[in-house]
Amino acid sequence: MTEPFVVLKDISKSFVGVKVLKDVSFDVRPGEVHALLGENGAGKSTLIKVLSGLYQPDGGKIIIGGEEKKFASTRDATANGIATVYQELLLFPELSVAENVFLGHYPRTSSGIIDWTTVRSRTRELLDSLDTYDLDVDSKVLTLSVAQRQRVEIAKALSRDAKILIMDEPTASLVESDVQRLMSIVRQLRERGVGIIYVSHRMPEIFALADRVTVLRDGAFVATKDIHEVTEKDLVSLMVGRSIESLFPKVEVPIGETVLAVKNLNHGRHVQDISFELRKGEILGVAGLVGSGRTELALTLFGMTPATSGEIKLNGKPVRIASPIHARDLGIAYVPEDRGLQGLVKPMAIRQNITMATIDKVSKGIFIKAAEEMKHAVAAVKRLGVRCRDVNQPVGQLSGGNQQKVVIAKWLETAPQVLILDEPTRGVDVGAKSEIHSIMGELVRQGVAILMISSELPEVLGMSDRVLVMSAGRITDVIARAEATPERVGAAMTAHKSAEAA
Amino acid sequence: MNLKSLFRHEMLLAILLAIVLVILSFQSDKFFTVSNLLNQGRLMTETGLIAIAMTFIIATGGIDLSVGSILGLTAILTGVFWQNVGLPLPLAAAAAIAVGTFAGFVNGIIITRFRVPPLIATLATLALYRGLAEGISQARSVRGYPEWFYVLGQGNVLGVPTQLWLLLIAAVVASIILGYTRWGRTVYAIGNNEVAARFSGLSVERTKVALYTASGFAAAVAAVIFVSRVSTTRSDMGTGIELDAITAVVLGGTSIFGGRGTIAGTIIGLCLIQALKNGLSLAGVKGDGTIMLIGAVLILAILVSNLFERSGTR
Amino acid sequence: MAMTDLDIPPVRPSRAVQRPGAIQRLMSDYGQEIVVLLAIVALFAFVTMINPRFISANNLTTIFAGNAYIAVAAIGMSMVIITGNIDVSVGALIGVLATISGTLAVAGYPVWVAWFAPVLIGMAINGLIGVLVAYARIPSIVVTLGALSILRGGLISATGGTWISDLPPAFMVAQKKLFGLPVPLVAMVVLTLLAAAWMRYSAFGRSLYALGGNPEAAVATGIPAERRIVAVFIIHGFFAGLATILFATQLQVIQSTVPPNLELTIITAAVIGGVSILGGSGTVIGSTLAAILFATIGSALIFTNVSAYWLRAVIGLLILATVLADMFRRSRRI
Repeated sequence: MTEPFVVLKDISKSFVGVKVLKDVSFDVRPGEVHALLGENGAGKSTLIKVLSGLYQPDGGKIIIGGEEKKFASTRDATANGIATVYQELLLFPELSVAENVFLGHYPRTSSGIIDWTTVRSRTRELLDSLDTYDLDVDSKVLTLSVAQRQRVEIAKALSRDAKILIMDEPTASLVESDVQRLMSIVRQLRERGVGIIYVSHRMPEIFALADRVTVLRDGAFVATKDIHEVTEKDLVSLMVGRSIESLFPKVEVPIGETVLAVKNLNHGRHVQDISFELRKGEILGVAGLVGSGRTELALTLFGMTPATSGEIKLNGKPVRIASPIHARDLGIAYVPEDRGLQGLVKPMAIRQNITMATIDKVSKGIFIKAAEEMKHAVAAVKRLGVRCRDVNQPVGQLSGGNQQKVVIAKWLETAPQVLILDEPTRGVDVGAKSEIHSIMGELVRQGVAILMISSELPEVLGMSDRVLVMSAGRITDVIARAEATPERVGAAMTAHKSAEAA
Repeated sequence: MNLKSLFRHEMLLAILLAIVLVILSFQSDKFFTVSNLLNQGRLMTETGLIAIAMTFIIATGGIDLSVGSILGLTAILTGVFWQNVGLPLPLAAAAAIAVGTFAGFVNGIIITRFRVPPLIATLATLALYRGLAEGISQARSVRGYPEWFYVLGQGNVLGVPTQLWLLLIAAVVASIILGYTRWGRTVYAIGNNEVAARFSGLSVERTKVALYTASGFAAAVAAVIFVSRVSTTRSDMGTGIELDAITAVVLGGTSIFGGRGTIAGTIIGLCLIQALKNGLSLAGVKGDGTIMLIGAVLILAILVSNLFERSGTR
Repeated sequence: MAMTDLDIPPVRPSRAVQRPGAIQRLMSDYGQEIVVLLAIVALFAFVTMINPRFISANNLTTIFAGNAYIAVAAIGMSMVIITGNIDVSVGALIGVLATISGTLAVAGYPVWVAWFAPVLIGMAINGLIGVLVAYARIPSIVVTLGALSILRGGLISATGGTWISDLPPAFMVAQKKLFGLPVPLVAMVVLTLLAAAWMRYSAFGRSLYALGGNPEAAVATGIPAERRIVAVFIIHGFFAGLATILFATQLQVIQSTVPPNLELTIITAAVIGGVSILGGSGTVIGSTLAAILFATIGSALIFTNVSAYWLRAVIGLLILATVLADMFRRSRRI
């Protein structure tokens, strides 16, 4: 067995008196993928930030090659061969690919001027070594896709001779095909002897990639295991400290009459000739690769990008949805994909966020009735089990799962008939995830019709009554729960349907 | 970002205002007299009206640099409509105010429809509206308004300057709207996260157009008061008033990035500036010297509140 | 298991990566600059048809040299805006520096003292502004708003608005010629080209774009953000000082008042030239072209017998048109 490249020993760290890391030990060997697991708030991000030099630990040691090191900044960590590919990619949109890779450590000519020829040719070599032949080194980064930007980030890390690469939720915003490509890059890096710290909520990836896995809970070290020693169930119970009965608690409810009927709906390139029906008490899962038009379909139904042609019927009556305000008034709610940007106004109170879509209802004329608003907010927080100090707490202070519950609460206030959930459990820890799934069950029992978009196939298969699969802006398959297998959904996700066939 | 830190800045400012008032009244026995204070109120009305509307705009994360030019344009048009077109003066003023309001509406349309950043959009219309004022006036000024017109800018109602009543009413109405209504809530939501506001079914575009239109209206009303106060119209009226208004708003605790701010803060900021101007001129400092002090106070006030905020969060 | 070990083969060597053509690249890198250039050319063509004297050597000198100080000041302003900051006090600063320079010249100091003083003092004042922005973390618009009041008030109360006249002839560098060309024109072109090259190829220049485009990432990459911001304000002060020399020495008198709205003209030049007000993009070539455009418009109005009082309205309309065209171009690109 090879010696670890870096060893973290008894690391602890506190913020304003709260211990977020308690004597955690962790190590990474060259040429291994070491997965780091834990619920949100378990201390993964803090541990990563300590290792990448963003935080200085209160106690414990960082040892590299037998020597204790102190990282005062990210610069020190980089100099010691530790690089990070962040969850929110840290690139410069207006600069070229080559500049992004070499910014901060440009090769220079003997006279001290930046050697742009070398910058470009070395970037080309790095990208080629990642099997990324289709990227122009002179393109501005703003023109690249998320997956391409990620490869630029990796090239940037390699350009600094990284021995350890930290990848924080690298697949969170990638589609299936890009995930596969990323995984092959990770394997290739491992072959080259790079040690990789891989943080992800997605179990299948961890089992496909990791050599070892370390689980943290509540800031404390729980276990480090060889991947062959554990099952998915073991890991989940290590993470939450209890065993979860069923990952996807599907509630069986009688399916009622059709609420939403869509016929030949069109908007641009991503929503083409879409027809489907959604019934009372039904969860209709929507699967598809990124760019398949899933979110665009939701945005069209929600009036963000109104349909250019086609028919939408609500309870049998044709309707026109030209704006989110229209959609809301018709009883269509949308819990968006990007919680921080689209879902919440983070500096504002939980109370104010919850009543944001229904501010008219708690107002008399133009005046907000404060007591009424309070009552609604308190009830909603209780109903969804949002863990918070009180409803006046700024929503930005909550954990991801609780933030998501606030977004859902906001839209439940509108008493929707149709609830569109776009990636409802992305970036949410295992505990909160199953709570959100229970809320969905509760809602369909009350007769709400749910359209659920998700990139996580197990979630789609586990929660849906029917699965609608999209590819290239069109529906390629509609599958009943009993027949929905990963293979059939997967095939439909990559299928192409020509305009004539429809 | 919570209520406490919000009030902290305003409390700080109110205390500062109190200290300044005390010092100034010791400096000169002319300062703390009713007639002087009322007269100061008269002088700050135009900036005040504009600053109130500006508070809303800055709270949404926007800015309106064109208000001074709208003021100039409205002033010129009041004179031209009355003297050259021959409208009765009330109608001329109303028509000019309508044009000024429309100018604000145009700002709103450029910003929402064409998605031009507010700073750029109003920078462009600053040049355009001032240019129109200059072009229309051809450097001629209009004087000789009827005596009754000066009641607005130079007279009193119930012993208080006429225009100060307007400012008072505007301040009360505006602070109620910003603090207690869903319109105010929408303003803060837009300032903190415009995208989320839109996704929550708030009418972001309509609110913004309404605010820039209101800003144009406030500048236009200020123009008529200005004309009445100084008895003449010139095309360079109101040059630089946008900076005075923005200074008052920012000094009053409204975040230049939006999402935070109150009318009360703006009014305190306004009073502080006016008190300093007046106090210094009574103490024999020349008018322009006071401008320097206002600049220094602006920087210092933000510096101090920044320090407080940082020590509070850590 | 949902995910298999199956690897999707990477897209194999289309060795020759699809590179956009040279023209496309030029449009994407210098789109706004080209728009402004075309506007200048079109205006020249149009006005010359009406009045051929428009392109007389004399008038060209007026156009290119008269507004050179705006172009020079806009270079520094562009750099400040590229880092995501702004400076609304530069007009007042130029007024103050011009008065200092003129006073020194009249008082009999050697001309080089009168030339260098504004540059050094400009750097010092803006350095202080930079410190307040970078280290005290006060938004630049607030700091410079305050600085505007201080400088403007200070200038008027110090001079009482009197003009400085009887400037020594040796001081009047803007009226001299270099290689047969007016000094302001030469200065504008040389400074613009040097600054453009520096912004495009130096590590310092690139770090400014990085800072404006993604400040957090820039810090994580090891760019010393605070030091860079102070530095960029000092450089901005340097260009403001040079602009002052051109401004103060072009006429026989120095009006000891701040030219009204000069800061807005300079900001507008930068923005019309394609510098994004949100930071992270734009070039100093664009701002110089925009300054030339403004001068061309001013001159065009005179030669087409439009009343000078309409000058600002026409400039405003043109600015608006350029901004809307830019927005239209951007919305099509995405």
